[in-house]
Amino acid sequence: MVISAETRARIDAEAAKYPRRRGALLSALHLVQKDLGHIAPDTAAEIAALFDLHPVEVMEVVSFYNMFFDRPQGRHQVRVCTNLPCSLRGARELLRELEHHLGVEAGGTSADGRITLGHEECLGACAWAPMMRVDDVYHEDLDAAKAKQILDALR
Amino acid sequence: MPRITVDGAEFEVAEGRTILQALDDLGVLMNGVEIPHYCWHPKLTIDGSCRLCQVEIEGMPKLQIACNTQVQDGMKIHTQSDRVKTAREGVMELLLVNHPLDCPICDQAGECKLQDYAFEYGIAHARTQEPRRALKKRVDLGPTIVFDQERCILCRRCVRFCREIPKTGELGVFARGDHSVIETFPGTPLANDYSMNVADICPVGALTTRDFRFKIRVWFLEDVPGVCTGCSNGCNVYLGVANNRVYRYLPRRNDAVNETWICDAGRLSYQEIGASDRLTRARVRGEGGALEEQPLEAALAAAAARLSRVVRAKGAEAVGALASPHATNEDLLVLRRFLAALGTPHAGCAVVRGRGDSLLVKEEKAANAAGARALGFGDAAPLLERVRSGAIAGLVALGSDVLAAHPGSLELLRGLDTLIWLDTRHSELETAAHVSLPVRHAAEKDGTLTNHAGRVQRVAPAVEPPFEALTEGEVLWRLGAALGLDGFAGAFDARAVSKGLAEVSPAFAGIDLDSVGPEGTPLRKAGA
Amino acid sequence: MQSAPWVTSYLTEHCAADDFATLAGYRRRGGYEAARRAVAEMTPEQVTELVKDAGLQGRGGAGFSTGLKWSFMPKGGDKPKYLVCNADESEPGSFKDRLLLERAPHQMLEGILIGAWATGAEKTFIYVRGEYAQAGRCVQHAIDEAYAAGLLGANLLGSKFSHDVVLMLGAGAYIAGEETGLLESLEGKKAQPRKKPPFPAQHGAFGMPTTVNNVETFSHVPHILRHGAAWFRGFGTEKSPGTTLFGVSGQVRRPGLYELPLGTRLDEIVFQHAGGPLEGRRVKGVIPGGMSMPILPASQLDVPMANESLRERKTMLGTGGVMVLDDTTCMVRTACVIAYFFRDESCGQCTQCREGTGWIHKIVQRIERGAGSPADLDILLDVAGKMEGQTICAFADAAAWPIQGLLRHFRADFEEHVKHGKCPFPQSFEL
Repeated sequence: MVISAETRARIDAEAAKYPRRRGALLSALHLVQKDLGHIAPDTAAEIAALFDLHPVEVMEVVSFYNMFFDRPQGRHQVRVCTNLPCSLRGARELLRELEHHLGVEAGGTSADGRITLGHEECLGACAWAPMMRVDDVYHEDLDAAKAKQILDALR
Repeated sequence: MPRITVDGAEFEVAEGRTILQALDDLGVLMNGVEIPHYCWHPKLTIDGSCRLCQVEIEGMPKLQIACNTQVQDGMKIHTQSDRVKTAREGVMELLLVNHPLDCPICDQAGECKLQDYAFEYGIAHARTQEPRRALKKRVDLGPTIVFDQERCILCRRCVRFCREIPKTGELGVFARGDHSVIETFPGTPLANDYSMNVADICPVGALTTRDFRFKIRVWFLEDVPGVCTGCSNGCNVYLGVANNRVYRYLPRRNDAVNETWICDAGRLSYQEIGASDRLTRARVRGEGGALEEQPLEAALAAAAARLSRVVRAKGAEAVGALASPHATNEDLLVLRRFLAALGTPHAGCAVVRGRGDSLLVKEEKAANAAGARALGFGDAAPLLERVRSGAIAGLVALGSDVLAAHPGSLELLRGLDTLIWLDTRHSELETAAHVSLPVRHAAEKDGTLTNHAGRVQRVAPAVEPPFEALTEGEVLWRLGAALGLDGFAGAFDARAVSKGLAEVSPAFAGIDLDSVGPEGTPLRKAGA
Repeated sequence: MQSAPWVTSYLTEHCAADDFATLAGYRRRGGYEAARRAVAEMTPEQVTELVKDAGLQGRGGAGFSTGLKWSFMPKGGDKPKYLVCNADESEPGSFKDRLLLERAPHQMLEGILIGAWATGAEKTFIYVRGEYAQAGRCVQHAIDEAYAAGLLGANLLGSKFSHDVVLMLGAGAYIAGEETGLLESLEGKKAQPRKKPPFPAQHGAFGMPTTVNNVETFSHVPHILRHGAAWFRGFGTEKSPGTTLFGVSGQVRRPGLYELPLGTRLDEIVFQHAGGPLEGRRVKGVIPGGMSMPILPASQLDVPMANESLRERKTMLGTGGVMVLDDTTCMVRTACVIAYFFRDESCGQCTQCREGTGWIHKIVQRIERGAGSPADLDILLDVAGKMEGQTICAFADAAAWPIQGLLRHFRADFEEHVKHGKCPFPQSFEL
């Protein structure tokens, strides 16, 4: 059992809010991923059992959504938005600077395992571009110096 | 009942059906009314994603997918308008943007819906110069199926099939957009009893069977209608024949028997026809105790002589017969007449049983077990008892099911004065037989078989055995003639014999080789 | 994120106050009074008629009459009915719902309550995009406060009416913002839009009758109940009444949110409110309604921002996400960014969308790096044309329109890349 009893209980509580249990699947995946970092196949199989699904159905959902990962990640997700409004205000140049700073190409994880750096589509912060999401926190109105500072402070 | 018009032709259709369903119900879909489609399948849930079945419906501004549009009384549908043609061209061109140019090495060529519809409905000249999506080319999805991810057009029929029919759900569509790929869960291969059906329903060569891989080009095959003989379900099949050889079975649609499906074991049972353990020579046990090959006529004469001896020594009732649940109704009718003419009532039928399921697979592993019963052949136990007691000294055994169905029967049968054994394949019975005669497989003869539900279905010779073999009926006919029995003059004629079925069993009233039809006919119920 | 728009009106006038997001702060400003009156003194039909009369159009991009949508829900019957609040805001250039979720969650909740009363819904699912973690926290806090105060749950507001609200976070997929894609995601599946018919009012969330409305749409409702239809129609145009939150971004001096009446001219928004282009630059083009909407050239910005006028210019209001592009920007690179987005976000069901978005992206990329030919421009338009109006949902249309708009007004940029094999705008953002 990779999923803790406590997480199972939280999943059950979520499931009770929906007319059909499966409605809580995305919430369950968020909860489990928060604990374990990513959803590996054996994790997916456990989740499938909780929802009476074929394991492949859980992996399908994991693979469909940007925020779920089927392989290990860095401790922090850092996503620079590179959609149009942000690109118009220097987002792509910023991302390149951060790639250089971390020694990592977008999509990769830093050697020390701290940060997985990537680009993301519109995060709803267009007026404060360029910006990035670090886990569940937005950092807006960035310049290269500010962004690097934020990254360096991540453990 | 609503009336709809398609390209000017009026059809009366059932309420609550979609356009494709309604036309399929009438048997005109792709058979008079051409609405090309990929993702729709008559026996699966509606998908609606391929977009190829778009048609123009008067009164509706946008084109509508025929697979998901309910028929309405007065609906006027156009399948050949310019808008529809342009839409089809669009779908075909877009499918070919990423589809690999594999036709020369792809098993599907010749029965590929992408080839067919691209030719029929696509544009002649490819405009794309972009590199195609590079994916896995030869995935062993499981023990039976090879998957080429690049060829997949994401119609999702295979995914729906696994979830809806065997309900094993091994397949899923991963990722999204043009990165979508079909995969299994790691460690859970595609391995259910119906897995090979996905190769049938896959419109392209993405899913192919390992069994048929690279064997032969389909345009060399003739598709001969027939029936699977693996169990008493009698799934309808097409035998794929070339060079006097059966290369594969494909399920033949029969909504009353197997819909569009066949189990893997049944599908592969074509291998029995050309199996290396077929009995190919008549043999007679010689003085030294070994079975020796003999010309067929000589073996028949030897068999007749041995039976005669038993009858003279101990009376006709010392002879009995084991009917085969694999033989046709016609073969079995001749057996009944033979026994009646000989003057013995002692007969029975043994059937090997195995696992069945709630879909198609039946426990009785023979195609004509019900037919044998309908023709008066009951359980073999009483017959075997008479063998044990010595009351029966001579036995004509059709087939070898008795060995597995009645453990210990081999020892019993060794005690017979005379065992005349007819079969398609080697079995342990040959250690007890005095005369061994090769007979034809159902794919090599004219006849009818009765399935578990009492449906009488036709078989016709798809191949000729490359050795001398008669049908059971023919063998018995000649034995009857050799024994001077009444009613066995002239040549054996399956057609004539089949017309006599009803006399012996009223359930066969009106049913014979000619009247049975391509989808079979149910036996008449008592009192009907 | 700003705490309030640069220009506010009835919708956002209190957003600057931190306590407006709390129940106490909301109530102090008259909050939940409209909902109380609706439940106590009006029938569901009267509420629906009122919203219909006011002419409120959905603010999620489609602009469908909200009152009319509510009237599609079946009356009575034994099936539970649901509302869904679409807070999946993912249209590039749109960030208005985020403000309303973070700074005015109770206003939205009150609108939901009124909508629930009007439609007979027993439960609302608020689907917030997964990346909006802060908005999710604010909404959950508001929900908890409302339950504690008897504004949600059984017999709310001292009436016989009961209603529950459930917050669900998405997980990153633009297509989950499509009405039926959202419903699929709500049910724990991939956000793959459904075939229609059936429509959500007949077969929606978990198979039950459902109405899906946008965050901003719900947020207007309490004001309509409070002040009446005539008052609401005092803002905006005859066909498009009320205000909306325009989100201005891109190469402009003062990006941000502006709550203005529908029908305000686009050039007024860009030049007067948002301060015009950056120093030393000129406006080249403006996307008026979020990235799915066709771009307008600088010469055509004199258009009232309302669907009836924008349609005449072959574009639409969408989500009011106004993106300003200046004369340093290459429209081919812009096309690459847009095409990448649609290729990445296609759910992959329909042939035209899945393959069309991929092909378009590959072609514009090739043109951008100098390997394009004149025929490619015709192919782009042809493929875009073959994607329109033929798919399960409007995503394929949304993918086609921007390319059509860019080629319609900025063909020269593409022809430059084709003719000279390189980008004529050295200052433009690199890909």
